[in-house]
Amino acid sequence: MEQLMKDAGSGSRDTMERIRRVFIESLNLNLREEDFSYETKLDEAVGLDSVAVLEFVTALEKEFGITFESERLTIVLVRDLKELTDYVDERTTRCRGASAGPAGEDDPA
Amino acid sequence: MGTPEATPVALAASNTNSRPLATLPLVTLNDLLWLLYVYPIRLLATILPRWSLYALGKLSDPIIQFDARRRKARAARWIAQACRTTPAHARRIASESLSNGMFRTLDGLLLLRPSSEKMLRCTAIDGIQHLERAIARGKGVILLTGHFWANRIALRYLASQGHAALSVHNLRPRNKSEGRLGKLFLKPRVAQLQKRANPDQVYVQDPDCSLRIMRRLRAGGLVALQIDARGGTSIEPVFLGVPWRIRSGIFELVRLSDCAVVPMLCLGRSSGFRIRFDPMLEIDGASSREAFMSANLPRFLAVVEKQITENPEEWRLWNN
Repeated sequence: MEQLMKDAGSGSRDTMERIRRVFIESLNLNLREEDFSYETKLDEAVGLDSVAVLEFVTALEKEFGITFESERLTIVLVRDLKELTDYVDERTTRCRGASAGPAGEDDPA
Repeated sequence: MGTPEATPVALAASNTNSRPLATLPLVTLNDLLWLLYVYPIRLLATILPRWSLYALGKLSDPIIQFDARRRKARAARWIAQACRTTPAHARRIASESLSNGMFRTLDGLLLLRPSSEKMLRCTAIDGIQHLERAIARGKGVILLTGHFWANRIALRYLASQGHAALSVHNLRPRNKSEGRLGKLFLKPRVAQLQKRANPDQVYVQDPDCSLRIMRRLRAGGLVALQIDARGGTSIEPVFLGVPWRIRSGIFELVRLSDCAVVPMLCLGRSSGFRIRFDPMLEIDGASSREAFMSANLPRFLAVVEKQITENPEEWRLWNN
């Protein structure tokens, strides 16, 4: 995980930390942030009740003020923290651009 | 027959047969019936007309009733209590439910035919305006129902009419009559056939299950969910007079997606079935998961309980 965070840029690092925080909060995990493997915990959550994943995704959307594109609403994306971070960064930038500029290219989910 | 087929359910963990595999008999009568279904009868169904398939079903009905005699006796006691009817009438309902199951299972083979849509005879769709009003909200629609035998044929018909609904199933439903042959070999085969007949479905065991449902709802589409699916871990309300552990995921889906919920009831056989939609349910908004569920659970359950007690012979779970 630390390696992953080193690989990420500073914006991404902040995003990744926020994603991990949202993950802990939305799944009501009783863990200190550095204590867990994201992928393992996500797999457990999926095994127990896949609705937990949905709760996590909607909490992410709320936290970052974004909407996942319909075709990206997949477990493959959500399970990969690095890819998820990149995607959230990209969507955040797009949404900012759309709200700052004239008509944004952002497509509705 | 028991139900090695994948049953439509709400969302969460699987509802498996609790007996360990090693303690199951190698082959049961139920397994043999399913073996006949999966191979010779399925092959015959590609050429036989529907009436002859039903005649075959009528011939096998006494065997199916015999195989399920103990489950049927238990079911009759429950039916008498839940439907407030006489023991004799309850026994008849339990028998009819089993027979209906067998005929709808044969209907499942008809759905595998390329020309199956022409064979589906829908005699009436009542309340389609309720469905159209719900679709017009643009936030997707959950079709709320129970485990009725005609659901699969009705969903297939609705898809052919431009109202495709994603249905949710259990890959490992409980079947107390199965042996190892059924559990390991026949059940997966039946699930494959059912998926072929109606590919627009998702299993609760899929990690993507809730996300796929959400995708469909966000696209303004339809999802058929059966609230009486047993399983899950969190809630055990009284349903039809007995404690019934249900999956709570449906409430989370409604809360998080703000979709419409329309009760749907499907009754009959492929040779003549009808579908009824009731007005959209009013949803009590609440921010927390628990508050939302306790506010809406009684209303959701009451809808399906009414559907079942008015059409008890069409409900699948009495004999489970």
